[in-house]
Amino acid sequence: MTKTSFKRGVVAGLTTGMMMGGAALAQDCTTKIGAVLPTSVDWGKPIAATAQYAVDLANEAGGVAGCKVEMVLRDSQVDPKVGVDAAKALVDLDGVQMLLGAVSSGVSMPILTSVTVPAGVMQMSCCSSSTAFTGLSQEGKTKGLFYRTFATSGVQAAVGAMVARDQGYKSVAILYKNDDWGQDIGKLVAKDLEALGISVTGSVAINDAQPSYRAEVTEALKGNPEALYMAIYPKEGTSVVREWLSLGGTQNMIVANALKSDEFRDNVGLQYLGNTIGTDTASPRSESASAFVSQYTAKFGSEPNGPGLSNSYDATMIGLLAMEAAGTGATGTEIAAKVSAVTDPNGTPITADAAGFSKAKEVLAGGGTVFYQGATGNVRFDDNGDVSAPAVMWSFTETGTEETQYISLEEVDAFMASVK
Amino acid sequence: MIGLLSYLVFFATVAAILSIAVLGLNLQWGNTGLFNGGVVAFFGAGGYGTLILGGTPQADHLGGFALPYLIALSGGMAIAGLLAWGVGILTLRLRHDYLAIATFGVAVAFENLMRNAEGLAGGAKGLRGFERPLRQALGDGFTYNLLFLIFVLGLLIATYIFLERLIRSPYGRLLRAIREDETAAMSLGKNPARIRLAAFIAGSVIMGLAGGLYATFYAFISPQDVLPILTFQIWAMLIVGGAGNNKGAVMGTFLIWGAWTASGWGLSRFAPLEVQLYTGSLQFILIGVVIVGMLLWRPQGLFEEKLVVSQSGRAKHLKQQGVRE
Repeated sequence: MTKTSFKRGVVAGLTTGMMMGGAALAQDCTTKIGAVLPTSVDWGKPIAATAQYAVDLANEAGGVAGCKVEMVLRDSQVDPKVGVDAAKALVDLDGVQMLLGAVSSGVSMPILTSVTVPAGVMQMSCCSSSTAFTGLSQEGKTKGLFYRTFATSGVQAAVGAMVARDQGYKSVAILYKNDDWGQDIGKLVAKDLEALGISVTGSVAINDAQPSYRAEVTEALKGNPEALYMAIYPKEGTSVVREWLSLGGTQNMIVANALKSDEFRDNVGLQYLGNTIGTDTASPRSESASAFVSQYTAKFGSEPNGPGLSNSYDATMIGLLAMEAAGTGATGTEIAAKVSAVTDPNGTPITADAAGFSKAKEVLAGGGTVFYQGATGNVRFDDNGDVSAPAVMWSFTETGTEETQYISLEEVDAFMASVK
Repeated sequence: MIGLLSYLVFFATVAAILSIAVLGLNLQWGNTGLFNGGVVAFFGAGGYGTLILGGTPQADHLGGFALPYLIALSGGMAIAGLLAWGVGILTLRLRHDYLAIATFGVAVAFENLMRNAEGLAGGAKGLRGFERPLRQALGDGFTYNLLFLIFVLGLLIATYIFLERLIRSPYGRLLRAIREDETAAMSLGKNPARIRLAAFIAGSVIMGLAGGLYATFYAFISPQDVLPILTFQIWAMLIVGGAGNNKGAVMGTFLIWGAWTASGWGLSRFAPLEVQLYTGSLQFILIGVVIVGMLLWRPQGLFEEKLVVSQSGRAKHLKQQGVRE
């Protein structure tokens, strides 16, 4: 008798426990998203940290589609094999329906062709710039699953040429990173400069991780240019600029956003960068952008100055908003289809922070659409998942960088049309 | 469950492809003693060759001949072989570390050529536009990956059997003779230069096959696929598995690639969040420790080379011993 009641008690207790466990599970459910980013590279870590930060903000606002979001981060090591394997593991083992990544186009592309498109998973890249993605999409091979928040290189190249025109430079030498992004932007800026009647005295590729760039710099110095255009990364940029200045090169420099870095400024020395003008796709004139900068500064202790940080933030936010819009258990295809509903120019504008995310949840729950006002602007994707963007010119300051001129999307488009 | 199976198929495919390349290196280093420091050049030549011959036409560069898959793959192997022939004639007179440095240079030159020659291979953007064979019929999903794995495994087994027979034949004995003492081999009327070249080309063609399969599997190849890190990874696989032993070469590949991917997965799952940002660096340290440990405590690799002096000769020898005893 006692035994039986004891048993009964245990069974009852277990059942209650299981039921409570079940209820608790429903509340604390977790949706996984994947991220394949080059965390073993110096500039890759902050990109991943920014993505994680966006996920934290979404969780602060109560998560996505009723669940907490967990970002499973994998290192791509900038090695296509490793990146593709990591993506495959995220899709197959963790069951993610939305994948952030990668940074290099050479890693993003095989992930797209051999993992995400076959599996029907949405892929959102913060930083891949290759024109090959546009081509692939036009051939219909991305199935609408690929988006990127990195504006095509055309915008920055055009603004770089605009700087040269405004400053009255007559001749410019170009140094570009020898990868798909650099080759692309180097070619575009040369074309734009020539269209403006500015002569290009030389265009030299900069390979990664060389101990010295004396040969390249000497080559660029031939023809005695009035200004130097650089589309390279901070580490190489530091060595290149040091050699350039020591060999008597001009301090008139125009740099792409990849050099918008405190590391570069500190290592070269601010006193040499007075005549340097940078270009970037713009922070928009909205509260959400300044909110992003101040939030980021509060969180990480410095302004978001590294390459790809705002892009990474927007990529993550838009991906999460689309997941919210698509609802519980949505597939990658369904999530990708909802991207237009969260970047709808006719929708309710929302800010890029936890409060904005909460507001977006309300609007989306009511069947409305929202217009995400992000850290890189009012992001709008075209049919190929590409973004265009307004642009800014900036210069280095004691604390970071400061914007010197804002060029609206209309002005960018008009200028680009004029140099075509 | 399906997810796990699907991932394992994917993993096995990549590991099997890399195994083929490691087998090619084993023929060169393990059996013939040729220190090829530029594995990635021949791997890449096969990959690029296959995609150029078998891809769909692209606007801005050579290629897109859209040849049938098996012809494209053989073409890729032939291109790797041709490259090996040219490189071999120039460099095979060099010994050991000198050969390693020369071939390493060839690999770096190959990567730079692919990165810069946009008209040839698409430059840094890489080569795309390859239609995976039979995709129309089989779709993109699990079935396709499974059948491709079977195809790759078939080629791996064929390569394995070919190499096992080769090293057990008198020709294999000759390769080892050259590896151990070239002068002695010459004194027996053999021509080491020619044999070394033949072994170098054969090994490189096998690497080319691996490259072709790799590029087909991803339907894409770019200069990022042919960085020196791949040469080091393939060498690490051979060293851990055991140079001179084909079984070791295959096991080493599965182990190292398994450790590489599993450590990444494990760190992303179990390491605390703050550490996660450093998983990449931690992974490099882990793999480095495994290789150093291996070299310190078991330099012959997991599977030692089995020395088969000569099958018939050994049998006779044993018989004579038996008689004497």
